[in-house]
Amino acid sequence: MSSSSAARDGAARALLRRESRALRRQVLLPILLGLCALVATIAGAWLVARLLAALLGHPGAGWPELAAAAALALLGAGLVLAQERAQLAAGEAARARLRDAAFSRLLDLGPADQTGIGERASLVVDRVEALDGYFARWIPAAALAMLGPVIVCAAVAWADFGSGVVLAIAGLLYPVAMALTGIGAAQASRRQFEALGRLSGRFLDRMRGLPTLVLFNRQEAEAEALGGAAAELRRHTMKVLRVAFLSGTALELLAAAVLATLAWRHRALLGGGGDPTAALFSLLMVPAFFAPLRGFAAAYQDRLHAAGAASALAPLLAEPEAPGLLLEEMPPRVVVTFTDVRLSYDPARPPALDGLSFRASAGETLVLAGPSGAGKSSVLRILMGFARPEAGRVAINAQDAMALRPAELRRLSAYVGQAPHLFRASLRENIRFARPEATPGQVEAAARAAHIMEFAESLPEGLDTLVGEGGWGLSGGQAQRVALARAFLRDAPLVLLDEPTAHLDPGTEALVIDSLQRLCLGRTAIIASHSGARARLGRVLEIEAGRVAGAPRIGAAE
Amino acid sequence: MLADLARVLGLWRAQSGWLLAGIVVSVASALLGIALLALAGQGIAAALGGAALSGGVVFLLLRPLVLLRPAARWAERMVTHAATFRALADTRIWFFRRLAERLPAGIGLGRSGDLLGRLVADVDALDGLYLRGLVPVLSALAIVLAGAALLADAPLLAAAVALPLALALLLPLVLAPGAARAATAAAMAQGRLRAAAVDPLLGVEDVLAANGERAAVAALAAEGRALARAQRGLGWRAAWAGALGGLLVQAALLGALAWGLAAGAGGAALAVLGLFLAVAAAETLGLLPRAGIALAGAAAGARRLFELADAPPPVAEPAQPAAEPAGHAIRIEDLHFAWSPDRPPVFRGLDLDIPEGTRLALLGPSGIGKSSLAALLLKLAAPQAGRITLGGVDIADLPAETVRRRIACLTQDARLFDDSIAANLRIAAPLAPEAALWRALDRAGIGEMVRALPEGLETRCGEAGARFSGGQARRLALARVLLSAAPVLVLDEPTAGLDAETERAFLETLEGVTAGRTAILITHRLVGVERPTRVLRLAGGQALPAAG
Repeated sequence: MSSSSAARDGAARALLRRESRALRRQVLLPILLGLCALVATIAGAWLVARLLAALLGHPGAGWPELAAAAALALLGAGLVLAQERAQLAAGEAARARLRDAAFSRLLDLGPADQTGIGERASLVVDRVEALDGYFARWIPAAALAMLGPVIVCAAVAWADFGSGVVLAIAGLLYPVAMALTGIGAAQASRRQFEALGRLSGRFLDRMRGLPTLVLFNRQEAEAEALGGAAAELRRHTMKVLRVAFLSGTALELLAAAVLATLAWRHRALLGGGGDPTAALFSLLMVPAFFAPLRGFAAAYQDRLHAAGAASALAPLLAEPEAPGLLLEEMPPRVVVTFTDVRLSYDPARPPALDGLSFRASAGETLVLAGPSGAGKSSVLRILMGFARPEAGRVAINAQDAMALRPAELRRLSAYVGQAPHLFRASLRENIRFARPEATPGQVEAAARAAHIMEFAESLPEGLDTLVGEGGWGLSGGQAQRVALARAFLRDAPLVLLDEPTAHLDPGTEALVIDSLQRLCLGRTAIIASHSGARARLGRVLEIEAGRVAGAPRIGAAE
Repeated sequence: MLADLARVLGLWRAQSGWLLAGIVVSVASALLGIALLALAGQGIAAALGGAALSGGVVFLLLRPLVLLRPAARWAERMVTHAATFRALADTRIWFFRRLAERLPAGIGLGRSGDLLGRLVADVDALDGLYLRGLVPVLSALAIVLAGAALLADAPLLAAAVALPLALALLLPLVLAPGAARAATAAAMAQGRLRAAAVDPLLGVEDVLAANGERAAVAALAAEGRALARAQRGLGWRAAWAGALGGLLVQAALLGALAWGLAAGAGGAALAVLGLFLAVAAAETLGLLPRAGIALAGAAAGARRLFELADAPPPVAEPAQPAAEPAGHAIRIEDLHFAWSPDRPPVFRGLDLDIPEGTRLALLGPSGIGKSSLAALLLKLAAPQAGRITLGGVDIADLPAETVRRRIACLTQDARLFDDSIAANLRIAAPLAPEAALWRALDRAGIGEMVRALPEGLETRCGEAGARFSGGQARRLALARVLLSAAPVLVLDEPTAGLDAETERAFLETLEGVTAGRTAILITHRLVGVERPTRVLRLAGGQALPAAG
C-alpha cells in the first residue's frame, strides 16, 4: 500500500518536473519580476527609514526623499502587476499542454475505461485547473521564498549586522516550523481530492438518473445521502486546512518574535540616542522579510492540491500511446476472418469469446445471432479496437488486424453501437459528425437513406431541429435512424451494426431494413441482431457462449 | 448582483451561528493586530517624549498580545472556513432538491457537464461572498474606524491615514460590476469547458467510431483557451486591484510621513503612531480590493445557480391537495397534449378507461406518443386540456408523490446507478428484505445471473449499469419496478434489448407478475404470449381498439 503510494508520488513529481522543464522560460519571468519588485521595496523602506529618522530629530531627509519613496512605490506596484501577468501566462500554458495530453489519452482508452464519466471529466477540468496553482503561484513563490529573504537579510546586515543575524536565524528556523506542521498534509490533501472526485461522480450519476429517482419518490433520500457525501468532503478539507493554517500561525509567531527582538535590541536608539535610521530600516524590513515566506505558505496549498492532481493524472499520462501500424491505403473490399478468438473482460466471469472462428467474405452481410451475452457485441468491439483478444487471430484481408493502431482499424468501419449517443446539437450536425467534411448534399442524402426525412419534416426546423443530449426530443427509433444515417455518411468498406432494429416498431423496422440492405450493398457487413427479420439481411451465424453454435469446444477434454 | 447575494445569505440562515461567529472572531483578530502595532507606536512615541517608563510599560503589555494575535488568526481561519463549508454543503443539497422538482423528466436540452459544473464550481465560487468578501470587508471597516478613532486628536493626520484606507474599502464596490461581467464570462466558459469534456466521453464509442478524437481534443482546447481568456480578464482585474490596494496603503504611510514633515518636531509622536497604524492595516486592507473580485465571482456563480433553480416546475403541485383516492382505476378524458407549442400535438382528444386489474397493451409505431402517455400519467408533464383521474380524483389535484407511489413505471431510459444491485433495487422499496429482492430478480428473469456473480446482490452496477450487458441492465431495471408496491405498473418497452427467448419468457410470466395490479404494457408489437385483457392502438392522437 505504502510502496504503491510512494510510486504514485514519484510519478507525480516526475510529471511536475517534466512540465516545469518544458515551460522553463514562462516560469522564470515572474521570478525575475518578483525580485525586481523586492529591490524596489527595500529601496523604498530605506527612504522611509531616513524620513522617520528626520521626524525623530535627525535631519537629512525631506520632501525629495518623500517624492522618491512615492515613485518607488509606483514602480513596485507596476512590477508586481507585470509579475502577476507573467504568472497567469505560465499557468495558462501549462494547463493547455496537460489538458490536451490527458484528454487524448482518455479518448484513446475509450469505452474500456470503467471510471465514471463525471470523474473522468473532472480529471481534465478540475485536476488540470488545480495544476494551474503549481505553475502560476507555487514555483514563483518557492523561488522567491528562497531568494527574497536572503536579499532582505543582506540589505539589513549591511545597515546593521546584528539585525541581519536575527533575521538569518529566523529564516533558518522557518523550514523547521514548516516541517513540524506540514507532516501529514500531503496525505490529507490526497484524501480530500479523492473525496472531491467521488462527490463529483456521485452528483453526475444521480443527476443523469434524476427521472428514475423522482419516479420512485427517492429524491429526498438521495438529497440526504448527497448531504452525507458533502459532509465527508468538508471533514477532509478541514483536515487539510488545519495543518495549512498551523504553519501560517507558526510563521506569524516567528515574525512577532523577530519584531520584539529587534525592538528590544534597538530600544536605546529609538529612545533618542544616535542615528536611528539603520534601526528603523531593520524594523521596517521585517514584513518584507516574511512576505515571501507568507507567499510560500499560501502557495503551499496550491502545491499540495497540484501534487494530488498530478498523482491522479500521472498514471493516465504515463499510459503508453496505443502502438500499431498505420493503414497504408483504404482497401475497397474487406474480408474478415476470426480464427479461434478468445476474449474475457473479467476473470471471475465466463469468457465473452471462447474460441470463435468465422469468415465474412468481401461484399457479404453476416448476421450474428444468439441469446444476449453470447458474444455478438464482443465481435464488433474487437473489430472497432475497443477490446483486444487474448488469443486467436483476427485478420482483415489476410493481414493481422490487431497489428494496426486502433484508430487506424476504426477508419475501415462504419459502426453503430447498441446505444448510439446523440449530442446536444441539430439533427444535421449529429449526422455530419460521422464525416465533418461532408457536403450538405451528402448529409441530406444520408438522412434520406436512413428514413430520417419522414419524421424530420414534421419537426419545427427540419434537420436543423436541436436534439438534446442523449437524443432528448426523439423517440428511441428516431435516434436509431440518426445513428444509421451516420453510418451511411461514413461510407466505409466495413459496416458493423449492433442491434440496429432493437427499438423499432415493425413498420419502421421494415423501412430501416430496406435502407440497411442498401447500406450493406457492395460492402462487407457484420450485424448483431436477434430480430425476426434478420434472415432478410444475409447469412445468419448462430453464436452461443462465445462460440459458433454446435462447434466443438477446442481443447476441451469432454 | 446584490439581490442574488442577499438571497444566497438567506439560504445560509441555518448556519448563521457559525457565520456570525466567524465574523466576530475575524473582527477581534483584526483589532488585536491594530492594538499590537498601535501600542508599539505609542511606546516609541512615549520614549521620544522622554517618558521611558511608560514606554517600558507598553512593551510589557505587548508581550501577551504578541502571543494572542497568531492564536486569534488561527481561530479566525478555522471558524470562517468551517462556516463556509457548512453553508456550501447546504447550498448543494438545496440546489439538488430544486432540480429534482424542476427537471423530473431529465435534463432535456441542458448538458449534464454544465449542470455538474454548476453544482461543483459555481457553488464553490459562493465562498467568495463570505470568506473572501464579507469577512475581510467587515474586518477592514473595523480597522479603519479604530484607526480614525486613535488619531482623532489630529484631524488632518487622521484624514491623511484613514482616507486612503477608506478608499481601499470602497474599491471593491467600484471594481465589482466590471469584475462581475468577467466572472460571469469565466463561469460560463468553465461550464462550456466541462461540457466539452463530458460530451465526447458520454458518446465515446461514437466519437471513436467517427475517428473524431482529434476534433474532440481541439474542441476542448478551444474551450480551454476561451476559459483562459476569461480568467485572464478576471486575473488581470484582480492584479490591478491588488496593486491599487498596495498603493493606497503606501499612500497612507507616506501621508503620515508628510504630515510629520509638515508639522515639524511637535508632531513626531503622532506621526509615528499614524505610520504604525498604516503598517498594521496594510495586510487586511491590501487584500480588500480583491474582495470585490471575489464578490463578483460569487454573484456570477449565484446567478447561474438561480437561473436553473428558478425555472418553473413542469407540473405545479396542487395548492390544496385532494384526499387520497381509495381505488386506482384510471380514466383519461378528452386529453390534448403537445410537448411544446411548436411541436405537433401528441394527443387530440384521447379517451381511455383502465379499470383496476386491467392488463392493457398499448400499441403504436415509434414517435406516436406511447411514452408521452406514461409521462402524463406520472405528472412529468401536464396536458393542455382534458384530465386524467386516478380512483376518481383528477391527478392534477393530487401531489406528485401520491401519484408516483401508486403508479410505478419502467421508462425507456430507466437508469441503474453506480451502486450495488441491492441498493439499485431498493430505490423502489427501501425496506424490502433480501428475499423480496431475489423474488423480483427471478421474476425479471435475471436471478440466476445475479446468483452466479461472486458478490451477488452487492455487485456494483457501474454508471448506467455499464458493468452489465444492455439486456441484463434492462432486466435489473425491470426487477426494480416489480419490487415496487405500486398498484399500477406502466412498462414502457420492458423487453427492449432482450433476445427473443428471454423476451418471450418474461412476457409469459407477465400475468403472474402483475397479478391483482393494473398493468399498462407499452410496446410497438405483441409477441403473442402476453395475454392482455385489452389491446389498444394509438393513432392520430387517439386510442383505437386494435384489429385482430
